[in-house]
Amino acid sequence: MIAVLGLVVGVVAGLLVRPEVPAVVEPYLPIAVVAALDAVFGGLRAMLDGIFVDKVFVVSFLSNVVVAALIVFLGDKLGVGAQLSTGVVVVLGIRIFSNAAAIRRHVFRA
Amino acid sequence: MPLANPEPVPEPAPRPEPGPSPVSAGGQVAPGRPAESTAGGTAGAGAQPPQDGPSGWTGAEAPSEPPEPSGRQRLRAGLWPPRITRAQLIVAVLLFGLGLGLAIQVRSTSDNSALRGARQEDLVRILDELDDRTQRLEEEKTRLGAQRAELENSSDQAEEARKQTQEKERQLGILAGTVAAQGPGITVTVTDSAGAVEPDMLLDAIQELRAAGAEAIQVNGVRVVAGTYFSGEAGAIEVDGRKIGAPYRFTVIGRPQDLEPALNIPGGVVQTLEKEQATVTVDRSEKIVVDALRPAERPDYARSSSQ
Repeated sequence: MIAVLGLVVGVVAGLLVRPEVPAVVEPYLPIAVVAALDAVFGGLRAMLDGIFVDKVFVVSFLSNVVVAALIVFLGDKLGVGAQLSTGVVVVLGIRIFSNAAAIRRHVFRA
Repeated sequence: MPLANPEPVPEPAPRPEPGPSPVSAGGQVAPGRPAESTAGGTAGAGAQPPQDGPSGWTGAEAPSEPPEPSGRQRLRAGLWPPRITRAQLIVAVLLFGLGLGLAIQVRSTSDNSALRGARQEDLVRILDELDDRTQRLEEEKTRLGAQRAELENSSDQAEEARKQTQEKERQLGILAGTVAAQGPGITVTVTDSAGAVEPDMLLDAIQELRAAGAEAIQVNGVRVVAGTYFSGEAGAIEVDGRKIGAPYRFTVIGRPQDLEPALNIPGGVVQTLEKEQATVTVDRSEKIVVDALRPAERPDYARSSSQ
């Protein structure tokens, strides 16, 4: 419950406060958000499986974000930023879908 | 209290159960997260007991609950009674960050068109395109400006030519008798009481006036032009086929100082007419109006040889 509240508060704060994102971080934000979403879905699935560990969640969340940003950064340096970020989004999207399927199986038993 | 004794025995039983099951579940989860399966086993077990442990008699329900804590039940348990645990707080903090990033990203993409989220090379390309477009438009502007200047110029010229043509038409119209004219001049009145004035005398008067620089002449309402002729006989004179009677009134536009002496020269028009018992009066005026008109006739054969 607290976790859901945290998400809601974050969205509201982002919409209301309208913080300025430094230009250096800006290109990596979308990918980082998708990576974080993947981690959250993985954590939700783990919770439903009864194997949730906060430490693992924190580490996987942060490492997902960092690795995704790193890949995009590297891609930009190599000149294939657009393609690489597309690839990252595709991979993360597939993982999100499979996690969502597992969650669905738990919640709806279908 | 006797019930409390048998309980501890079944309680340990459910504990091992979550242990092995995560291992099998962990195998499905993701190959990338093997650590979670082992860690999850201990954490999953550690998160639940604090609820059941402290209260004495809730343990009575324990035998029914622990056997299959399904995913749905776990979700409900995690959601509804809001408990402040370390895990919840940490996840809340992380999710707060996620929500923040999500909101910022959504806002920035919806905010400033597509440019804000665009990549560097895309921006460079867009900038190049804009530069090209600006250059093209600039060229077009220059071209159109030149065209406009040209058109203005030519329309000025056309206007000037039109004015000149109109002016010329007016001048020629005065000569051809198609427009009215006004200006300084004289009025010559010939009263022919004896009826002895011949047409050729009037023609002489016209010739004399023309020689003296008359620019527009009318006789008794008939405009005198290049093709004007006098016919008939004394008392029944015709000008261009129209009969006119005495007194004969010449309205002449020209320089009065030239016209009057021209008529009055010895042996001139006035003396000739006075010999026929006609009286001639000449009046100078600063404003003579010659308003008898002739229709503009298009010549049948003669054509302008100039363009």
